[in-house]
Amino acid sequence: MNRKRVKIVIASLILAAAMAFLVVAGVKNTSMRHFTPDVLVAHAQEVHNKGIQVDGLIAEGTTQWDPTKFQLTFAVRDREGQASVNVLYANRLRPDNFKDGGNVFVQGKYNAAENLIVASKLQTKCASKYEAAEGMTAQTGGTSTSDY
Amino acid sequence: MHIMAELGQAAIWLSVFSCLWAVTMLWMGLRHNNYNAVIGGRNGVVGTFALITLATGALIYGFVTNDFSMKYVVEVSSYDQPLLYKVTALWGRMSGSLLFWLWLVTLFGALVVWTNRRATDYLADYALIPISIVQFFFIILVTGLVEGVYNPLDRLPDGMFARDGAGMNPLLQTPSMAFHPPSLYVGFVSLTVPFAFAVGALAAGKIGSEWISRSRRWMMASWLVLTIGITLGGNWAYRELGWGGYWAWDPVENASFMPWLLGTAYLHSVMIQEKRNMLKLWNIILITLAFEFTLLGTFITRSGIITSVHAFAQSDIGGYFLGFILLSTLGVIGLLAYRWNDLKSPNRLESLLSRESSFLLNNWMLVGLTLIILWGTLWPVITEQVTGEKTAVPEAFFNQVVIIPGLLLLLLTGVGPIISWKKLTPSNFKRMFAKPIISGVVGGILAWIYLALQGHTKAIYSSLCVFASVFVLVAICDEFYRGSKLRSKRSGTSFFDGLIQLIQRNKRRYGGYIVHIGIVILYIGILGSKGYYLLESEKLQLGESMEVNDYRLTIQDAFQEEHPNFSLGGVVFAVEKGGKSMGTMRPARGFYHKAGQGEQDTIESAIRHMGLTDLYIALGPLPENVPAHVQSGGIVHVEVYHNPLINVVWIGVAIMVIGGLVAICEKHVKGNA
Repeated sequence: MNRKRVKIVIASLILAAAMAFLVVAGVKNTSMRHFTPDVLVAHAQEVHNKGIQVDGLIAEGTTQWDPTKFQLTFAVRDREGQASVNVLYANRLRPDNFKDGGNVFVQGKYNAAENLIVASKLQTKCASKYEAAEGMTAQTGGTSTSDY
Repeated sequence: MHIMAELGQAAIWLSVFSCLWAVTMLWMGLRHNNYNAVIGGRNGVVGTFALITLATGALIYGFVTNDFSMKYVVEVSSYDQPLLYKVTALWGRMSGSLLFWLWLVTLFGALVVWTNRRATDYLADYALIPISIVQFFFIILVTGLVEGVYNPLDRLPDGMFARDGAGMNPLLQTPSMAFHPPSLYVGFVSLTVPFAFAVGALAAGKIGSEWISRSRRWMMASWLVLTIGITLGGNWAYRELGWGGYWAWDPVENASFMPWLLGTAYLHSVMIQEKRNMLKLWNIILITLAFEFTLLGTFITRSGIITSVHAFAQSDIGGYFLGFILLSTLGVIGLLAYRWNDLKSPNRLESLLSRESSFLLNNWMLVGLTLIILWGTLWPVITEQVTGEKTAVPEAFFNQVVIIPGLLLLLLTGVGPIISWKKLTPSNFKRMFAKPIISGVVGGILAWIYLALQGHTKAIYSSLCVFASVFVLVAICDEFYRGSKLRSKRSGTSFFDGLIQLIQRNKRRYGGYIVHIGIVILYIGILGSKGYYLLESEKLQLGESMEVNDYRLTIQDAFQEEHPNFSLGGVVFAVEKGGKSMGTMRPARGFYHKAGQGEQDTIESAIRHMGLTDLYIALGPLPENVPAHVQSGGIVHVEVYHNPLINVVWIGVAIMVIGGLVAICEKHVKGNA
């Protein structure tokens, strides 16, 4: 290998290291645990006062929308298990497609004592492209979408 | 009318054979140099196209004639769906989108046959083999033979039929959503062609730059259509979803962005192979990656391994895609090993400061960005597998991590065009770089001062972005200026004629420079709209006001409008700036009564362009009779976004598309210039 070749290899290595550093630092600064309600409740103390993400279903009958306080409260329940987590989402609009039993993704700070997430971000499963939410059934055809 | 569905069904099954026929005949013909067999293979490719066109036509016929005995039609269409959305229901769900994807691969196969019908070599015929193999994969998925997917032409069992279909989600019944998915598909699928040429060239042992120039326009077209498709998606999200933004690093967005990045890298690195006969291996790897990433995107979004808020109905189909990705990658690796000795380049990089290295750095950054985005997207899967604890990275991760590579790439769009080949000499540096650097520094400092006066005291990245942008603009405009002046002087015409001549003489190069200008504009738009947007949430009653930036918004009135399949209820805001009336804005909620999924109401944001900046108002949920609610003192929840320079984003992309169109017009690429 001549000197130029060595220089190129070194330059590439530095670049690769810099990229890796960026990723590591980025992950360190921003990453947060992602839970289903069941797992979150089991690990509640570990993430007290930390930012987390929870993914589950909007528990039926728990949604309360207080227009004068401009805040939404509801519980996210586990898809399979029993556990649920309370969510408070204040001073933001309630997202479209927010329905009992619907898929919901919550990001925010968790308080283990109250089993409450103060949400900074709330998303319902959006109707990406043309795909309807899971479990939607055609009312008249007797077909269901569960087969794909 | 059922006869069409049956015909389509038969066509799909027949295409299994025509596709296999094409592969066999092409392979035999090429091995034994038998022209007639090759022609037979080409006819097979065209035949597959005809058959799949028939099948696709049959499905569209089912939509248009409301054939609710067809399972797929029941699921995505309904009687009162407007005709446009009946047709676009073709790619409404998985089965149909697979058929559409397949139809595109067969169309492009037939186009490769047509455009190469007078070619004197067999290169395109070699490329038809991988194209046919990709077709075969999709045909098998579409037949419904495999578990997890059903044939889109299947009928409901036992002669059942539905009275009406479920219909399409109202959010998706807008023109940009009608054209966003197909443009992404067209972009993805057309990447198959340059990939197939690369594989074909490997198989044929013709690893010069012939395969690159033969597939160049395909690559350009793919890149252009992907650019448009990604932008349409962002634009739809911005106008319809009510969260005031256009990009959120969702896995689905990332899945479309990664092939674009790889395609962009490839478009640059092939120039090195053409000019300097280097990077042969790298180019094949890049185009293979770009192709595999189009499949990987489908795998990520369909397999359910990633929880996306976007997520599609999940299914086993991800497994087939993963299998096909692995097999096709192994195939390419095998061919690379077989042709290993032909892949060595006679030339070496001569200096780290040269156009070659700047292209190499560009490739490094683009591939690096792709890997970073892939890493972030798959992070939940990786952490769950490795540690048992699932960890995710939010939008903020991507926003942070892309800044530095993004700024370097921006700088390179200016460095690449003006740095000399082989080695940067001091005279080249002084002549080409002095002006752009000085202007860039001045621009960056001015931006820093301006932002500091606005109260943004730590705007280092923003100032760097402005520095790089000004640097690139001056560098490229200077290129145009010098070239045009030279031409006009030589031919004794005006400067403007000189400019036209300049572009016409080398459309690829100057089209590319126009794309670079578009990129700079796009960056400025992203800087403003992502970096300096304002969001104010407020609860208001009739007559109350809120303030956002310099704007004052007062609820003046409420309204209700009836439309054929929905009603619209909202409020009228009086907009003022500095006491001066700027007219009104009418954000609303849409109430859909028959929307497949029962009752649904949606945000219908109001967007007002104030020059390049947007004022954007979204309303929270309201009872259906909005005027009654508002008149009786009811509360309206409002979110207002002030999005500076957001329209510059769309302008930037438009310039990129124009540049791409200029570049694609170049028929013949000159060799060593």
